[in-house]
Amino acid sequence: MRYLRDKNKFNRMKTRLFLIVSALWIMAGCDPEIEGYKPTSGDADFSVYVALGNSITAGYADAELFKSGQMVSYANIIAKQMLHAGGGEFKQPLMRDEYGFGGRIKLGMATDCIGNTGLGGVFFGESPEAGNFSNIYAEEGPFHNMGVPGAQVSHLLLPGYSMLNPYYSRFASSSTARIIDDATALNPTFFSLWIGNNDVLGYASSGGMSGSITPPEQFEIYYNLIVNQLLSETSKGILANIPDITSIPFFNTIPARGLVLMNPDEITSLNDHYSSQGLHHINFQMGVNGFVVSDPSAPQGIRQLASYELMLVTLPQDSLKCAGWGSTKPIPMQYYLSELQVKEIREAIKAYNSIIGNAAAENNIALADVNHLLTEAKSGMIFDGIHFNTQYVTGGLFSLDGVHLSPRGNAVVANYFIDVINEHYGAGIPKVSVTQYQGIIFP
Amino acid sequence: MLVLLASNFAWAGGYQVGLHGQRNAGMGLIGTSLNNDASAAFYNPGALAAIPFQYSFLGGASAIRGITHYHMAKPSIYQATTDNPLGTPFYLYASARVLENLSAGLAVNTPYGNSLAWEEGWVGRFLIQEITMRAITIQPTLSYRITPALSVGAGFVIANGSVDLTRKLPVQDDSSEGELNINGSTTNYGFNAGILFVPIDGLNIGLSYRSRIQMELTDARADFSVPMSLESNFPAENRVSTSLPLPSNLDLGLSYHGSENLLLGMSLNYVFWSQYESLDFDFAQNTPALPDSENPRAYSDKLIVRLGAEYKVAENFLVRAGTYYDPSPVNENYFSPETPSLNNLALTTGLSFMPFTDFSIDLSFVYIMGMEKDVRYEPENFGGTYKSRVYIPGIGISYQF
Repeated sequence: MRYLRDKNKFNRMKTRLFLIVSALWIMAGCDPEIEGYKPTSGDADFSVYVALGNSITAGYADAELFKSGQMVSYANIIAKQMLHAGGGEFKQPLMRDEYGFGGRIKLGMATDCIGNTGLGGVFFGESPEAGNFSNIYAEEGPFHNMGVPGAQVSHLLLPGYSMLNPYYSRFASSSTARIIDDATALNPTFFSLWIGNNDVLGYASSGGMSGSITPPEQFEIYYNLIVNQLLSETSKGILANIPDITSIPFFNTIPARGLVLMNPDEITSLNDHYSSQGLHHINFQMGVNGFVVSDPSAPQGIRQLASYELMLVTLPQDSLKCAGWGSTKPIPMQYYLSELQVKEIREAIKAYNSIIGNAAAENNIALADVNHLLTEAKSGMIFDGIHFNTQYVTGGLFSLDGVHLSPRGNAVVANYFIDVINEHYGAGIPKVSVTQYQGIIFP
Repeated sequence: MLVLLASNFAWAGGYQVGLHGQRNAGMGLIGTSLNNDASAAFYNPGALAAIPFQYSFLGGASAIRGITHYHMAKPSIYQATTDNPLGTPFYLYASARVLENLSAGLAVNTPYGNSLAWEEGWVGRFLIQEITMRAITIQPTLSYRITPALSVGAGFVIANGSVDLTRKLPVQDDSSEGELNINGSTTNYGFNAGILFVPIDGLNIGLSYRSRIQMELTDARADFSVPMSLESNFPAENRVSTSLPLPSNLDLGLSYHGSENLLLGMSLNYVFWSQYESLDFDFAQNTPALPDSENPRAYSDKLIVRLGAEYKVAENFLVRAGTYYDPSPVNENYFSPETPSLNNLALTTGLSFMPFTDFSIDLSFVYIMGMEKDVRYEPENFGGTYKSRVYIPGIGISYQF
């Protein structure tokens, strides 16, 4: 009897057990799910987003505007993320290929005058398609990315600017068009405006030898005209200010006191060389020394740089290594910025940024303090395991021209804009991970 | 044989694995107070002399299917999941009563391990892409029954550990991203000791302590794959030394035969996780781009609470159930996706069936819910929400007489 009871019990148990085990295996098919983030547009309307600006907005990088660079412009990254929060189509005037107008550079192995082979900027190669040079407005326009390489603040208001700027002539609505009108013709519901860099950069990147600094009084007039015309379309947008030049690799890569001398005989011979000509203000010591440069205001037109002056990344390295530039021969003026020039540039940027800040505050528009972002980046930033700073190539934020952003740099800036927009308009545009964008490509 | 079985797992807190016997697995992984079989060699060497058999042999394995889900820190819509290889922890135990009150035993099992593979190209790949680590321990044990109510025991633990980890490096050429693979193995030693006290018939009280074993990995391989122009910065066949603690454990267990057919048990496992302060890599060849790396972990000690029950349905058929709560030892600001250990709540069940005298087939199933948590790994500015589910069926056999 006992045995039978046990056996019945056992059978019942077997059935139950089979059910339990089946249930467990069904459970085993379920993956853990985390409730997804729900993007929102908050007080803003992202259905027609128009981006105005210069080369940075256009997606220019590695000294050229080319297709894959345009695809990762910060403006395009933002627009793609806005798609999750009510955003619409964002058309860009894409180049037909990876060569643009043919000026693109890449990292390659180059042999210097001494015979040492090392990493350096080399031409990307091949010739661009003719289609890159013709106007595409009729086929593809109008365009939401109105970033035009080379544009200064006044250029956005200039009728017929396309005749002066081959990048704009590619996608201007007509030969007499103004950038601002092409932008507002789209009836934007949201805009971004990052303009003003070129109002100092032309001057700064030529060592003060060409271009000029837009006087802040003029900058203010032009800037407010642009903002007001945009505000006539929509009250929602974001303004971005101008980074200080010391945050940019173009100006911070080669130290002004970058002449390193370790050989006592060489130091003696250099000192003799200059003192024999009566140039007693030029002297050299063991270790680091200021480069010798041309300067008409210095005694006999020659002097050494001080640490707070800036050497430009365009300085030809072979001339430095093999032609005696900076030691026995003075470096020409277009390769450095003097203390006075640096001061002029920084004061102009400061004035522009105060104009931009006021425009944002007075009109209750979001402000992306890019100057602050890049100042912070100088001492290093980390996102998703990637360490960034503002150094040339290794810093990861800037492309090979030392002025424009790398794809990852664009992602960092896009995330920063998104943070500011979300905060200001109570929106929830999802951010990107910088890891999903390329860094510098090494050979 | 051992090598084949020894693939890997981590589904207790941190990288500790609790699966050391199917009977125990069915009862919430309790074991400190049990004197049923030779698994006592691991759970409490003090109980080994008190098992009611002259000889006891056990073997078994489990299959861990674990999935961790990641949602990037908000605002973001990015999600990723792990695609982990199946983990298969195993155990083999043998014991014999060599003298009237003296038993000798041997335990071979896998108390620590971690096996994790995140999806290709995921956003955390510069922290971790894949990791497989495991420790197999071999523990010869002696246990002595001082009085019928009190026995003690101790074992010498030989731990063989190995690690194989891959992370991507944020440097790339036009075809691929850089990668670092570290792999190596080491053998280190520790001990395991315990006491079993049976104050009244049917009530067992066990106390055991397993020492910390510091797995010192010296001169392991560190293989770098980077763009050609950066090879001098990352020597391709570098070497690395690192060290990882297998933390000490202090366990207290109680079990009570409520009736002839019912066994109730609980155990408190205190794990000294604070011994895991940081994971440091000391490369044999350093370059300006490749300094030694110090990665804080800052784990904290944790108490795991376990409850379990066994019911004898028939002479040859037993069923079990249990539960436990295993809080995460990981500091929420140093939560690395390499060991995404969450607060775990587990439900367990199991059964034993004896087709022949002295011979038993033991089955178990453990279901672990890793509770959703917002965390970050501050040093690399990598945060998000994690959640996990783990399903562990297990099978074992025992032969005792």
